[in-house]
Amino acid sequence: MKCFSRYLPYIFRPPNTILSSSCHTEADIISTVEFNHTGELLATGDKGGRVVIFQREQESKNQVHRRGEYNVYSTFQSHEPEFDYLKSLEIEEKINKIRWLPQQNAAYFLLSTNDKTVKLWKVSERDKRPEGYNLKDEEGRLRDPATITTLRVPVLRPMDLMVEATPRRVFANAHTYHINSISVNSDYETYMSADDLRINLWNFEITNQSFNIVDIKPANMEELTEVITAAEFHPHHCNTFVYSSSKGTIRLCDMRASALCDRHTKFFEEPEDPSNRSFFSEIISSISDVKFSHSGRYIMTRDYLTVKVWDLNMENRPIETYQVHDYLRSKLCSLYENDCIFDKFECVWNGSDSVIMTGSYNNFFRMFDRNTKRDVTLEASRENSKPRAILKPRKVCVGGKRRKDEISVDSLDFSKKILHTAWHPSENIIAVAATNNLYIFQDKVN
Amino acid sequence: MEVQKEAQRIMTLSVWKMYHSRMQRGGLRLHRSLQLSLIMRSARELYLSAKVEALDLEAPSPPARCPDPRLHPPREVEVPAACVPPDGEQPLPEPMDTQEEEETLVRCSPRPARVCRKRRSSSLSDGVDAGLVPSKKARLEEQEEAKDSSSEVPDCLPPPPAQAEGAFPNLARVLQRSFSGLLSRGPAASPTAPPARDAKPACRPADPMLSVLVRAVVAF
Repeated sequence: MKCFSRYLPYIFRPPNTILSSSCHTEADIISTVEFNHTGELLATGDKGGRVVIFQREQESKNQVHRRGEYNVYSTFQSHEPEFDYLKSLEIEEKINKIRWLPQQNAAYFLLSTNDKTVKLWKVSERDKRPEGYNLKDEEGRLRDPATITTLRVPVLRPMDLMVEATPRRVFANAHTYHINSISVNSDYETYMSADDLRINLWNFEITNQSFNIVDIKPANMEELTEVITAAEFHPHHCNTFVYSSSKGTIRLCDMRASALCDRHTKFFEEPEDPSNRSFFSEIISSISDVKFSHSGRYIMTRDYLTVKVWDLNMENRPIETYQVHDYLRSKLCSLYENDCIFDKFECVWNGSDSVIMTGSYNNFFRMFDRNTKRDVTLEASRENSKPRAILKPRKVCVGGKRRKDEISVDSLDFSKKILHTAWHPSENIIAVAATNNLYIFQDKVN
Repeated sequence: MEVQKEAQRIMTLSVWKMYHSRMQRGGLRLHRSLQLSLIMRSARELYLSAKVEALDLEAPSPPARCPDPRLHPPREVEVPAACVPPDGEQPLPEPMDTQEEEETLVRCSPRPARVCRKRRSSSLSDGVDAGLVPSKKARLEEQEEAKDSSSEVPDCLPPPPAQAEGAFPNLARVLQRSFSGLLSRGPAASPTAPPARDAKPACRPADPMLSVLVRAVVAF
């Protein structure tokens, strides 16, 4: 096995446990993964509308080898299936996105959204309970006031830790089309939700109104040529956000310019390479994810075959382009037949913005080091993961003689796709969702 | 021929996908529908260009190959007209479709009908076409393709918004009218036109599937 520098790839070790549901149904398919701002918590949403939050164990001297493992902290049903009677449509309960709010008190807050409704959840711990009420007994039954002869002050006694999740706000009925993104603003007071044609700005405290800040719906739907595919606020400038389109373009908007940000401040588009033009060019150029770097200087976009890094100061082309799985370019017709061409892959930055990661097929995921220009393909699978082993880099053979340990393009399992990944904000810990399994890999190199 | 068959296969596949996406939970997805319609349009263009080439090979005599110049002008006049949003231009929009708020006809679908009427009148009045080989049907396609290809010439760059087929006629109706017919026939058979097009039997193109698929875009 090749040796890599400590910067890439990180030598990820498989976890001691792979978190997955025991029986795999469609509802268990993980649809979103997100670390909170400290990395202490990791939230996953699934197709069944459930949110599962994992918490990192505190490091202890006794169990060094179990440093920082993630265990289930809380599970709750965030969204239920609903029915839109006017349109006779079922609204899926699938969680499209989860976004954490920065922690401001003992409780944790997160936003979760399905196709139509965003909810603000408060996740709090309860490890004490009051005892010694005067008017009710320990089981909660009311006592006859005539039997009370003394007064006592209730006291808080420790109890088993209970984590409860309560919906604090429900932001509903603001989207005609399917919500694809939510993004918390750096002012921590507002957030935006984006659907195919519109982006709305919300205040966390107000659920019955939102401001529409982008509307690309044409007067005549017949003239529709592109939809919004993702949107995100700038990490530091609360007036700036970007949204990507199905045509492979990104628009940066400044909310100070006007109330309705239909006119962009910056427009990022790369001219199409004529040599790459094919029958499916239009649909593979659709951007499935857009992410600001932590620094706020760059944006990263993912389309079907590539990941691109753009400098906010240069609109005419990306500064870096990485081929994720270019060997699929000749297979686009088959991928159209099996619907894989419509898969929406996400992409993530590491904490220092030096490495980017995205998923692929066959449970492969790819990392690209922006500084050394090295890249690696890793696989999230039980079979290849032994405790304390090192994740072996994988290679896809595109043609010619297949070496040992290589896998040929035709052997790739397209049903095993990694669409959602997350990177710890400061450490080299990654969470990779492979269908219904969540893999958490940690870098043990010191 | 292979290209034609492949394009036709992709168009059929796209219609299936469109139909099935309507059945899935959560209803039609706008992005998916748009992507499918883009594929259908590309497949249609490929199919038509392949057909033009095939016809060129079959009938290499100059008069048949080069579209009749007398017919060119009317066609070219029509092309810019077709490129403009057609709201004011569809003489006979289907009455059912206009009742719905969000429905608009796919622009390409009335085009064949318009071309059909125009072509019919011009072919009758000119009286030159009767002696031309191939038959009227094939000629219709040739002109349709020529029109399409001529309409594409100015659009070799990303097509203007008016060109894109983002229209959303009521999918249920379109599929009801056309899809069952599509399913019941074999791939090589000459299918009967959907009811909307039965008005002009003489103008029925050899590939009504083409127009059917063009129409079956998205409902929302």
